[in-house]
Amino acid sequence: MAAVLAKTRKTFVRTFFSNSFNRDILILLIVSIIIGSSLANLIAMSANTYFSETISSLVGDYGEFDLLVNVREEMKQNGQAQIEKVIEQVFPGGKIKEGPTLNGLTSFLVGLPAQNKTKQTYESIDSIFGSVPGRSGISIMTEPRVTLKAVPEGAKNTIIEQIMQIDGVLFAFRDGGSVTVIIQSISKSASVNAEIEKLLSQYHTIDIAFPVGSEPENSMRLGEQIANAMREEKAVGYAESVSVDSKSSDMVYLVSSMIELKRFLTAFATKATITPAAGVTFMLGDTIAFQGTAASELVSGVPLDSANVLVKVTMVKSGGSAEGMVIQGDGTQAANGQGHAVINNVIGNLVGTAVFHNPRTQLGNALKETSSLVLQIPKIAQDAQNMTGVANNALNSYSGSITAVEETLSSLAKAETTIEAATSGLAKLDTSAIQLQLTNSSRAMGSLVSTLQIIRLLNPEVSSSINELTATQQNLVTLQNTLSAVDNVAADARRARAAIDGIVANGNSMVTNLRTFDVNGARQTLNETGNGIAQLQQFNTPLIAAQLQYLGAAVPNLKDEEISRSANLMDQFIAGQVIPSQRIQILTKNNITTDFAGPIIYRVVGHNNVSLYTSAVGIIEPDPRAEVMTILMQVKAILAGMVSLIAVMIFLTLDHTAIMTVIRRKRAVNQAPRAKGVRRVVQGVKNSFTAPECIYGMGVGALLLTAMFVLSGGGIPNLPWIGVPFLGAVMGLLLANNAEKISPIAIDELTAGESLGLSFDEVMREIVIPSGRPGLLQTMNRRKMKFK
Amino acid sequence: MLVIQNLYKQFGSLVAVNEFNLRVKTGETVVLMGPSGCGKSTAIRTINRLVEPDRGSIMLNESNILAMDPDELRQARKRIGFVFQHFNLIGRLSALENVMLGLVMSGVKRENAESRAMESLRKVGLDNHLDHKPDQLSGGQQQRVGIARALAYEPELMLWDEPTASLDPILVREVLVVMEELARYRSSTMLVVTHELPFALRVADRIVLMDNGRIVEEGKPSQVFVSPVSDIGKKYKELIEYQMNTSAQSLSGKL
Repeated sequence: MAAVLAKTRKTFVRTFFSNSFNRDILILLIVSIIIGSSLANLIAMSANTYFSETISSLVGDYGEFDLLVNVREEMKQNGQAQIEKVIEQVFPGGKIKEGPTLNGLTSFLVGLPAQNKTKQTYESIDSIFGSVPGRSGISIMTEPRVTLKAVPEGAKNTIIEQIMQIDGVLFAFRDGGSVTVIIQSISKSASVNAEIEKLLSQYHTIDIAFPVGSEPENSMRLGEQIANAMREEKAVGYAESVSVDSKSSDMVYLVSSMIELKRFLTAFATKATITPAAGVTFMLGDTIAFQGTAASELVSGVPLDSANVLVKVTMVKSGGSAEGMVIQGDGTQAANGQGHAVINNVIGNLVGTAVFHNPRTQLGNALKETSSLVLQIPKIAQDAQNMTGVANNALNSYSGSITAVEETLSSLAKAETTIEAATSGLAKLDTSAIQLQLTNSSRAMGSLVSTLQIIRLLNPEVSSSINELTATQQNLVTLQNTLSAVDNVAADARRARAAIDGIVANGNSMVTNLRTFDVNGARQTLNETGNGIAQLQQFNTPLIAAQLQYLGAAVPNLKDEEISRSANLMDQFIAGQVIPSQRIQILTKNNITTDFAGPIIYRVVGHNNVSLYTSAVGIIEPDPRAEVMTILMQVKAILAGMVSLIAVMIFLTLDHTAIMTVIRRKRAVNQAPRAKGVRRVVQGVKNSFTAPECIYGMGVGALLLTAMFVLSGGGIPNLPWIGVPFLGAVMGLLLANNAEKISPIAIDELTAGESLGLSFDEVMREIVIPSGRPGLLQTMNRRKMKFK
Repeated sequence: MLVIQNLYKQFGSLVAVNEFNLRVKTGETVVLMGPSGCGKSTAIRTINRLVEPDRGSIMLNESNILAMDPDELRQARKRIGFVFQHFNLIGRLSALENVMLGLVMSGVKRENAESRAMESLRKVGLDNHLDHKPDQLSGGQQQRVGIARALAYEPELMLWDEPTASLDPILVREVLVVMEELARYRSSTMLVVTHELPFALRVADRIVLMDNGRIVEEGKPSQVFVSPVSDIGKKYKELIEYQMNTSAQSLSGKL
């Protein structure tokens, strides 16, 4: 089989090349392609060079410089010196060029050596050039590159990793809020752009926005929970929380600040608590009027007065009472609390009674009181310190007092003995000594009670002992009185002894209790207290008082109406938006819709008071210069393509239509007579595509155009490469169907040549080509003609 | 000798030549006649394969024309002179070059070709118009150049495809004179398609009448035009009679 094919091929080649005209056609095609593509290249490159040089004269050659360092004009020299130093030290082999000075800023263009064009370099470029004096900014201008904006902070790493996998990407890195992609060459710019677009289109973020009042406590954690739930429960291939708190943009900061400001202001607005009148039901948004500073009381049916105070109901409680915010006037001017409905700016019936709470006034008063209190702290501290000293003294005499009590108890025991003796010989009883001892004991107890009362300040547990001592003292007095009576009433002696027994017993118990009291511990505590008080005395209370007074003065000096209207204005700005920092972003595949993810998000969030929408993962920010260069390349390609098209058209017209005409005529000699009706149309259409001259035209057109496009780098927007030969074939087809009009070869001459026994190439060379259109073929043919 | 057997040519559904059989002896002049569209030109063009027949056999002096490959055919065509109705001269070439073209292209040295061409042109009376381009010549002169071109090969067979059809009557004569001379004084075989009845009557050795692609009658002119058997023959007879009568009447009237 191979041998047959080889033989067939050899035969074809020999036959083909034995015909000199076939060789001429082959040479003609080659020459046509070379001339056409050269011409296309020449024109395209000329245009491209002109435009490229125009751009390069402004900002250097494409890819020549990598950084643009702006330095304040007055620091230009120092800045340049520092940049040069940095280049010498960090980027040896780099170069610097001073650019234009605009608006007081001088630009320095810095070119980095190839080995320094790395991700690490670009990510630390700010710090590397941080020492440049007067630096006002540094921009990366390495080309070709692509910059991606609006990539969620949390998605940047993922996106960068995937971009790095794209063919033609040198590296990608975080460039401030953007992601910058450095491309290997401008020729790969378009393909890299397309790949990045494709990559970005595979993802989107599902944004979960929380309205004011429904914000999550920790949006980051909630985002992770949602992403986990989406992955686990919904079989979502990829879901990642890329929420970032308060790092989005300046607008985020502004809106967040305004929301906080609104919260701050409304916290100081007067709150009205309104108790409804019988049969009245409040609704959110109801407006209730109060007399305010108006001269007359509110009367139903009378138009509102600007001096009236108006309250808007902001919350209705379950019991029917309502809370409201003053929207006109000031809560302090509400006069009486009788509130009337307001209908179309006309006062209605009495709807309730309001109590106004003005946080501003309350805070001001509190601060004022606190300030006064603070000023008294030094005196209080001093008093406390004094008390500490007194308590210490009391503790010091504590042990002695207990001993005295013990001695008293001992005396009592002796007295009991004496009484016992007296009981038996009452007449001989001398009660004066007992009286004396009782008196001494009573005094000692009195002294101990006094001491314990002081101790009680430190240790309340001694209260019972004090009570017992007091009772004992009282008993001694009673005993003393009794003994006085003993003199007269011997019968009381026994009772007295019993009393003494009780006193001694109680006294011993009491002394035991008193002995358990930790005098040293109490003293240590007292000393620590004294130290604390001493530290308290060190405070700069006047300064604190001054700060409190400052705070008091800093309380918003606004009327409720002003607060209300400001809050409304801020609301209008925020426009019911969400707090930006309370937005959760879930990065996922673009086929995961909000409808699909919604139910699980609502469940994880715990409510459905959220807005769900999708947004693109990033936007490709065009690199103006790369775009221009790309456009220039496209222009070059289009120019080359257009010149190729024109060249093909010219070559086909001048050189090949004559050949196509001959083919057509030779076909027509043996052609069947034209059919009629539909068959004629069908036959005509069929011939328009399948006739030999059409096939020749399509083949030559496709070959010429494709070869010229390839060699000249031609291109036509939106025309894929496969379309080029197709376009060439279409051109050839069109010309083939009009070949006779373009090159009307005399068939009679052709027939005459054949009848004379001329070969096909002789007919073509001597008859057809010379009488055809003047072109390349005719020029080439001339040298071989025998009849010139 | 030219022998044509069962020649058949069909264009689509139209049968142009249908079982055409003809034998022309060497030196014989055969005039092929018939109404327009009857297949005369197609038949004569198939002989040198300017039109390829569908089937049949064409033998020229023992050479099977239809069996020839392209090279052989080209050589055979040089043995067959062909004179076209529309002269078919090469417009960019002079009269001399037109005649020389075939000779030079077949390998004859240029000097020889030139002398042979000049001789041919002299025979047709155009030796004073050697450098004239076709558009500088009258129709009759152009046709004579065409005849000279065919004669330059000294062909074995001359085929004439209505050589006077494109000429006005005055110019027809000069061409017919040349044709008659060639027919009478040359020994070449001639097959002539023409509507010129006088020429046919005077010169033809044999008349062949065609209709609808077929030969319907053939014979000597006196036989075909005096005692025709076919409808076409009868019509030709009537035409001859009509022309003779009207000419006679016209002449008698004028005289």
